[in-house]
Amino acid sequence: MSIPAALPAAVADSNSTDILAIANSPFLWACAVGVFLVIVLQSIIYLKAADTAAPHVGMTKDELKTSFRAGAISALGPSLAVVMVAVALLTVFGTPAVLVRIGLIGSVSYETAAAAIAAKTAGAELGGPTYTQAVFGLALAAMSLGGAMWMIATLILTPLLKRGDSALRKVNPAIMLVVPGAAMIAAFMVLGLGELSKSWLHVVAFVSSAAIMTVLMLIAKRVNKPWIKEWALGIAIILSLAITYAATRLP
Amino acid sequence: MSNMTQVHQALGAFDKTTSRWGRITMIMGLFFSLAAPAYLVFFAGLDITISGILTAFGALAAVFGVIWIVEPLTYFPILGAPSMYQAFMIGNISNKLLPAAMIAQSTIGVKAGTRKGELATIAAICGAATVHLLSLFIFVGLLGTWLVSVIPVDVVHTVQLYILPTVMGAVVVQAIVSQKAPRSAVIALVVSLIVVFVLVPLIPGFALYATAVAVISTAALAWLLRDRSKLGAPEDVTAETELPEGPVY
Repeated sequence: MSIPAALPAAVADSNSTDILAIANSPFLWACAVGVFLVIVLQSIIYLKAADTAAPHVGMTKDELKTSFRAGAISALGPSLAVVMVAVALLTVFGTPAVLVRIGLIGSVSYETAAAAIAAKTAGAELGGPTYTQAVFGLALAAMSLGGAMWMIATLILTPLLKRGDSALRKVNPAIMLVVPGAAMIAAFMVLGLGELSKSWLHVVAFVSSAAIMTVLMLIAKRVNKPWIKEWALGIAIILSLAITYAATRLP
Repeated sequence: MSNMTQVHQALGAFDKTTSRWGRITMIMGLFFSLAAPAYLVFFAGLDITISGILTAFGALAAVFGVIWIVEPLTYFPILGAPSMYQAFMIGNISNKLLPAAMIAQSTIGVKAGTRKGELATIAAICGAATVHLLSLFIFVGLLGTWLVSVIPVDVVHTVQLYILPTVMGAVVVQAIVSQKAPRSAVIALVVSLIVVFVLVPLIPGFALYATAVAVISTAALAWLLRDRSKLGAPEDVTAETELPEGPVY
């Protein structure tokens, strides 16, 4: 199916590699702003509800304010770390998709993995000459549907769990501890190792990033500074991209 | 009216408001997040087929399907029902929202799982959301395009080409460290090496299923080869004590 682009702003061309022409289109921006506003609305309603309920559980307004402030301050580091990664991904996914998928609902690891898997099913890869506008559209659709599954699971499970909190402990034995963790490590590992056969520069990118992350994790453990862990992903991505860039300039 | 019934009523009203509006706002968020790709697929004039989307989604489900269910199950006992709707829309749960909630609770000296703890969690997540939305809005929304525009073209090109191996390199290490499951990590490594360097080159067309096959076989092997002395009895393993500490989720 191909309906001719009715909007002058959307310069759609399935085979064009000018991703940003479509990724930064006004409609996508409107959707991103929509998600922002929904979270603002939710926060206002929740704060009001908490404010009303607080005195009844012996909680003062001051304690509520302190909680808000503690949450805000502790989010400074992680938020700026997310921002750093988000900016690095702007040229791959465009601003609206980065804001919603990587900045909010999802996270950089799942979303990048999801986009790569989706592109692969169309015989393409992210960022390369096969990464066309149509592949971007497919990747965004897959990322969004994947993210939607988390939300749908939350919508269905939360009321159920609220009713049967203790039932959770029975269905939450060893299988829940072993299987998801192993699946997650395998997913990232096979995607990472799959990059190695593409070119020696892909090897440089993967190995340097893994090495920097290892060093940062060791330092974080040695000096017991949790903020290093929060920043580790951002630092590792930026530094290893710099190393890879330097490697591309080699004669 | 006695004091107890008053408290009971107030908390009932609180539960009603948060569960109703938590759900409504989450459905609104779901709508906006799906409207963007729906526009690209149906109205932008791009050549994207529904069968192509289903194939991509199937590949994703094979890889992340378990996690879609397990994450909400894992976080429920820690966050409580109202904050579930906040957390899964704001994202970055383990690296930002959980620490925010825990710091808030320890600052005012309340315990998780109590009513006071629940309210502290809500306020903390609202605080974290405020900071997060502002920093995204300013540095990504307003300044992001400018930041990218001042970066030379060949640097942008490098980022586009090599972002996936750089993200995966760091994330693999982070996943291994935070999961604290060396046995699973070794199994994942062996399986991934076989899949990527033996099966994919040998079997034409296998690349499409490589990730799913690696994930499913690693999960199965990790379960079969688990340390039965440690993970035998279901009663002594609770979600709270075994929560992964790293920012992978």
